[in-house]
Amino acid sequence: MNAAIEVRDLHYRYGEGTPALRGVSFSVAEGECVGLIGPNGAGKSTLLLHLNGLLPESWEGARSVFVGGNPVQPDTLLEVRRKVGLLFQDPNDQLFCPTVFEDVAFGPEQFGLSEAEIRKRVAQALAEAGLTGFEARAPHHLSVGEKRRVCLAGVLACDPSILVLDEPTSSLDPQGRRELKELLRQIPITKLIATHDLELVVELCSRVVVLDAGAVVAEGPTVKLLSDEDLMLRHHLERPHILRHLHPH
Amino acid sequence: MHIPDGFLDSKTAAATGVLAATGLSVALRQARLRLPSRRVPLLGLAAAFVFAAQMINFPVAGGTSGHLIGGVLVAVLLGPSPTVIVLSAVLIVQCLMFADGGLSALGANILNMGVLGAVGGWAIYSAVSRMVKGLFGCVLAAAFAAWCSTVLASIACAGELAVSRTVGWSVVLPAMAGIHILIGVGEGLITALVLVAIARARPELLRPEAAVESRRSYGAVLIYGGLIVLALALFASPFASSWPDGLDKTAEILGFGGKATDPLFPAPLLDYEMPGIHWSVLSTSVAGGVGMIVVFALAWLLARVLVPKDNRLDAAGPRRVP
Amino acid sequence: MRHDSLDRYSRLRSPVHRLSAALKLAMALALVVTVVLLPPDRPVLLGAVAVFLLAVAGLSRIPWRFLALRLILLEPFVLGVAIMALFQPGGWRLFLFLVAKCTLGLLTMVLLSNTTPFSDLLRVLKAARVPALLVTTLSLMYRYLFVLVDETQRMKRARVSRTFAPRRARAWHTLATVVSHLFIRTSERAERIYGAMCARGWK
Repeated sequence: MNAAIEVRDLHYRYGEGTPALRGVSFSVAEGECVGLIGPNGAGKSTLLLHLNGLLPESWEGARSVFVGGNPVQPDTLLEVRRKVGLLFQDPNDQLFCPTVFEDVAFGPEQFGLSEAEIRKRVAQALAEAGLTGFEARAPHHLSVGEKRRVCLAGVLACDPSILVLDEPTSSLDPQGRRELKELLRQIPITKLIATHDLELVVELCSRVVVLDAGAVVAEGPTVKLLSDEDLMLRHHLERPHILRHLHPH
Repeated sequence: MHIPDGFLDSKTAAATGVLAATGLSVALRQARLRLPSRRVPLLGLAAAFVFAAQMINFPVAGGTSGHLIGGVLVAVLLGPSPTVIVLSAVLIVQCLMFADGGLSALGANILNMGVLGAVGGWAIYSAVSRMVKGLFGCVLAAAFAAWCSTVLASIACAGELAVSRTVGWSVVLPAMAGIHILIGVGEGLITALVLVAIARARPELLRPEAAVESRRSYGAVLIYGGLIVLALALFASPFASSWPDGLDKTAEILGFGGKATDPLFPAPLLDYEMPGIHWSVLSTSVAGGVGMIVVFALAWLLARVLVPKDNRLDAAGPRRVP
Repeated sequence: MRHDSLDRYSRLRSPVHRLSAALKLAMALALVVTVVLLPPDRPVLLGAVAVFLLAVAGLSRIPWRFLALRLILLEPFVLGVAIMALFQPGGWRLFLFLVAKCTLGLLTMVLLSNTTPFSDLLRVLKAARVPALLVTTLSLMYRYLFVLVDETQRMKRARVSRTFAPRRARAWHTLATVVSHLFIRTSERAERIYGAMCARGWK
């Protein structure tokens, strides 16, 4: 049974010099929710951009990323992008259409669906994201949380089988965070969440991958790894408060 | 310099509309053929940038302030055809969303600021920076071109107002050109300062590869050049010849401009002269030439002040023309 | 934020707002053409257009104060050019006529922009087969101009708050730096948006 995502010895460097990813390998099984954690500059966002082929800019050498068993490469990009829904860190970058409806419809339009099917998908996606009635709203009138949910709806409208999220709870107020967390909990598909929000990881992810300076330094069940104070501090993280109560040291 | 509705008569609005539409179509075609798709969002974002940048007040004497127009700045950074698209988008949004610039004057505004100002300015920039190399040459050329583009656009604007018989040529030209000769200095100064700041922070944005258009668009260059010459001939030469009569005759033949609008004042007024001022082709040309030399010298001084002798600001090496 | 407030009324509910964007654009065009063709010796026609526009303004439920403020903001260029008309014989008549004509044109466009969300106008342009590149550019410009204006104001505030005795030369240098940073951030954002568009299947 093929893993939903498999990364094998992925290397990447920016232009000349700084290697951003040094031999990253891990996999995400079908239906799993995996957390990707690590300090700033570890390469999390760079890694995520490889999962739907936005990186690398040139494709020489062996393939390192596999989605559903198939390599991510120039001739499979469109299919990969339909399967892998990537939620960017800044919703302003991803919400680029003049109205909510048009933005959520963007993906289905690009994938060539009919008008009726597009309307259906948009309505469904907005409902899943709790945004029914927002169709005619303009992005600059929305709050950060609402923008993020529109981006999520836009990704869901493409009917992906894997959700990859980059810092989904950043800039959200506590209520916005709660709402998003509940939303994500209810979406049953495979998820990979890169985040600093360690409480979110504990609440949603069964497994974590710890990335530091472009390499995977640890991998395993969430509670076990995040309770390991030494490990956390060594990689500029910390043991989340939730776990301080569960596992007094 | 956004002309509102009501200042241009129907024949001028139509003529400028046709010229502007031609220029914009050429630009769109060029972009469709040559713009790599990763640059497409940059057009829209650059338009938003121009809009936001135009809102910044640069304090001048006594409570007044200047603003960047941005045509030559964008042309240096993106190339002429993308700039026509960017400025057209800015003008369209300003017209339709903020009533800044009339709907019937959209053609004139795009022609003046987009085609004449930006493309004309870019041509001057291109020529000068070919002759004077390095970042120094780039800044000198941009400052001078920015001034020229401002004045050029204002002359065309004045001409359009005069040909529409809204205001007399001998009143509107000194007024518009006079003011914009000064505004142009500010434009040149700001353009130079911004380019130097960009060169300091991200020199790669000024390299040829960053420009989104390749050199070999001779067809487009020809058409742009033709439009500029035509526009100037139609709207800037009235004081030297009997063009307006020719334009009027053409308009009558084509069916507008004759009956529906009474001219706002009788024809001889076009020769109306401000007391004490007598324009002749020769004296105006000489004055214009001297003015340009003075401004060029000022631009040279400015570039000298801003760019150190060894062009060290741009660590990546001397600037080449896109 | 100033421009956000300018987009405040485009989504009101009123008989005028309910009309289709295409119809409103066509009407605006017709009115503007009428204004252009108004002869100076028939003030009655001018009055008729004015009455029509004021009726539309009333029906649109946009606050009169807002409309007046918008017009006042836009008048200076009108006055600036119209003043040149004073230099001709019979100048006063001409001056008043020009100001009246142009104000009607301004009112038309102010009403259009405040009764029609720009996104609707974009849809009309798309249906009218305006080239896709231009529509995309307009669309992205509309979407991001508020974002960039906000960024600009934030950057200005940050810079100005670090300046203790602003001399004019220093101010120009600072502001030019703000503009340059704005451009750099804008081009970086454009790259990210390109990525986001590709991520959802754009080619």
